[in-house]
Amino acid sequence: MEHDPAVIAGVCLVAEKAIMRAIDLSTGTRNQLKGLHPLTIGVNCSSPSVDLFVTVETDGGVAIASYREEATTVSLAGSWKDFLAVAAADDPASALINGNVQISGDTAPLLQLQAVLADLDIDWEAPLVETLGPVAGHQLAAVIRAFTRTSHSTHQRLKRQLSEFILEEGRLSPPQAEQNAFFSAVDDLVLRVDRADSRLKRIKKRLAGLSE
Amino acid sequence: MSTHDNATDDTTDFGFERVKKEEKAGRVREVFDSVASQYDLMNDLMSGGLHRLWKRFTIELSAVRPGQTVLDIAGGTGDLAAKFSNLVGKDGNVILSDINAAMLSVGRDRLIDKGALNNISVVQADAQFLPFEDNSIDCITIAFGLRNVTDKAKALASMNRVLKPGGRLLVLEFSKPVSPLLSKIYDAYSFSALPAMGKIIANDADSYRYLAESIRKHPDQETLLEMVEDAGFVDCRYHNMTGGIVAVHRGIKG
Repeated sequence: MEHDPAVIAGVCLVAEKAIMRAIDLSTGTRNQLKGLHPLTIGVNCSSPSVDLFVTVETDGGVAIASYREEATTVSLAGSWKDFLAVAAADDPASALINGNVQISGDTAPLLQLQAVLADLDIDWEAPLVETLGPVAGHQLAAVIRAFTRTSHSTHQRLKRQLSEFILEEGRLSPPQAEQNAFFSAVDDLVLRVDRADSRLKRIKKRLAGLSE
Repeated sequence: MSTHDNATDDTTDFGFERVKKEEKAGRVREVFDSVASQYDLMNDLMSGGLHRLWKRFTIELSAVRPGQTVLDIAGGTGDLAAKFSNLVGKDGNVILSDINAAMLSVGRDRLIDKGALNNISVVQADAQFLPFEDNSIDCITIAFGLRNVTDKAKALASMNRVLKPGGRLLVLEFSKPVSPLLSKIYDAYSFSALPAMGKIIANDADSYRYLAESIRKHPDQETLLEMVEDAGFVDCRYHNMTGGIVAVHRGIKG
């Protein structure tokens, strides 16, 4: 199914604006990106069928287009689920190499780009100050920074504690072989109890016959 | 829908009217003199901002590279020219051309404000008689301008003449919606809401009524494709946008 080029152009425009805003709010990122020019990444999504081209410009800006005739530095092909898995992974570089996304071309600049994006440190103070003024903007930015720091450390602590909890619980719970032996012993006991019960009934019956 | 201009007839479409060919340029000039100052604002309001996306895709299709020469015909307020200026860089050249002095004046002022005039020349020219050397331009765009040209075939031939071999033509223009339902909604919008908006924003309902009428009289996708091929272009194709309300035609000079 062919998508409306205007819709794709709209998606590209929104994504490009968001990325450029993030780059401009992250000190030093634009200079790092300049070094990657003329990197062009072709993204071929098979389901839904969409082609996108991400280009690093001479000034360190990023352009996203749905049509391009010049050769790309590296091409990525896969379904949207494959791309989503890469984006959501803890280590996107590793997920990209080992996942279902097919890569062709020079991957070195791609990994450099991933490293630049991983270092992205967005400072929200500037847009907040522009909107709310210097005092309120700075205060709100300080609150957001504190909240972000707390959330980050809480997330890290939870992750660590969760893994420790699972490890500890793993040690306390019996291994599979021990569980199997225990279950067969229980089964054996049930059989023996049944047999003893039958024997008791037989003896009671015999005693009743003798007393008559 | 009216298609090719009849070569034996000395009249042409001006909206739903038939006027003498020599009168059309003057009548179109009056319309654009009237709307020039509010043109971009009205474009945003009328299309809900979609014209920016249509133009963005057209620029992508141009595949313009640094150092090339781009001619933007009927470039009016210069939004395409500003984008091309960045793409061709300091070694390239963009020519912003329009038949209407008022539109060019607005465009030039806007480009000066953006600081984008270093590699842009502004030329008042009729698309039918382009004042440029043969085989001198790498890419020509005409966005929402061809329907106002008196003799479209002559304009396309003129564009073919000035393009370099392998150069490309991109015609962005209103076209025919592919869905009958969309077509009905679009008709209602064009002939009711559009003139009303023109009246409120630009105090000029008639000019915007002409714009709606001229869109209906413009050739549909297939007819325009045929006209582009007839003008000598090869590898011609078109892309419908927003359900065919707008189409961008591409042709390569063989």
